[in-house]
Amino acid sequence: MLRYLFVRRTDWTVLVIACTLSLSMMLLEARLQARVAWFLQHTLLAPFEVTVGWVDQSVGVFWENHQLRSRLTQLQIESDALQGERMENVRLRRLLHLEERHPYNLVAASVVARSLDRLGGSLTIDKGTADGVEPGRAVLTPDGLVGRAERSTPHETRVLTLLNRDCAVAARIERTRVDGVLEWEFGNQPVLNLRYISSQEDVKVGDRVVTSGLGGIFPVGIRIGTVAKVALDPNGLMKEILVDPAVDFRSVEEILVYTPSDLRGTAPADLFLEEPKPAAAADSAAADSASARPATPAKAVAATAQPPATADKVIR
Amino acid sequence: MKWVRDGVVLLVALVLQSTVLHRIEIAGARPDLLVAYVVYIAWMRGPVVGTIVGFGVGLIQDLDASVPLGLNALAKSIVGFLVAKAGFRVHRANAGVRFAFFFVAMLVHDLIYYAVATDGDLATFGKQMVLTAVPSALYTGVVVVILLGIAEAFSRRPLLADEV
Repeated sequence: MLRYLFVRRTDWTVLVIACTLSLSMMLLEARLQARVAWFLQHTLLAPFEVTVGWVDQSVGVFWENHQLRSRLTQLQIESDALQGERMENVRLRRLLHLEERHPYNLVAASVVARSLDRLGGSLTIDKGTADGVEPGRAVLTPDGLVGRAERSTPHETRVLTLLNRDCAVAARIERTRVDGVLEWEFGNQPVLNLRYISSQEDVKVGDRVVTSGLGGIFPVGIRIGTVAKVALDPNGLMKEILVDPAVDFRSVEEILVYTPSDLRGTAPADLFLEEPKPAAAADSAAADSASARPATPAKAVAATAQPPATADKVIR
Repeated sequence: MKWVRDGVVLLVALVLQSTVLHRIEIAGARPDLLVAYVVYIAWMRGPVVGTIVGFGVGLIQDLDASVPLGLNALAKSIVGFLVAKAGFRVHRANAGVRFAFFFVAMLVHDLIYYAVATDGDLATFGKQMVLTAVPSALYTGVVVVILLGIAEAFSRRPLLADEV
């Protein structure tokens, strides 16, 4: 019988085996799927990932170099302004005896590969444990939150974006301080769902959504996006809130990763709560006001930063 | 020798898919070279190889996907098998036939993929098929036909020959 199947009906037999294996994997528990994927990735895909990183860096190096040159001059000016603000901030904190908070650094990294899957959901960046980037760190761009580091090698890190089922974020409506949990679910991507918000709460289309800091990973106040749609769930108890992310995940190329540091500086979340100001305006603001904030989000690369009073954690 | 060439083509397709193709995305549609690769292999090497390669390539995609592990493998296994069965003794050198095969194969792939990924939500499924699957299939068909034409211009023999 088996001989007949393999010799006379090889094509159908192979198809049935392939489909059975695929369906078996699909029916595995999520954790077991992750473990199988992890094992296969570190045996089958290791050479490929190295090649991808090398090619992407080579392809991107020309236009990246051009962009970096033009940004360098601007960043130098902004860096000088930021230095002044940082010193001012340290002085003011000492004066006010602000409570001790854990300091953070921001590490700049480049995206070297994206998920092969149609829906995306992950990125690979060129910084790893050797640069202080460890699993669980928050990853963002000047536009807002990107996701979190999932696993790291010495020189590479896989980042789960908000468009991944395994990357839920404790979020908050900035205007009314209502807390919920932001999750991606397959559907009209890249829209995210803000869950567990009572139907009594005040949420409107256009409200800004930021990280709430409830947990352990994501600092408080990082912009996530804006409310695109508000409706009631079928039983009328909770609101169904769709959030339009601030970050364009398809085109993100340079990102920032929070890492612990002994340094102290401006609160990173503040960088994402205001629209960027011109460098000249920032200069005058730094001179005039004790509450002045960095001129542009790009400064975050150079800035040291502080985490929230309460930290985030991975929801799942 | 042909296996080495196929391996190199797969490596190039994987690298291009994850590093370059997002730069030529148009309104959310981008070419899927991995489906195209499975179609090419299945067409040239038959249903057994097509199914196995489809399963392997799909599994590689699944390792880095947010959809259930095995979904891409399932979709590409079936596409590999069907293409090899349907593409037997057709005029493969014809650009129109090539386009039609790659286009339909992409649609079949996305039909399976989105049917499972949307978890029975017909509205989302329909929307994904219309807004993502069809434009991506058209885009893939055009890009692959052009790439094959360019590759064959530098090759001594057709990459998709008529004989089996």
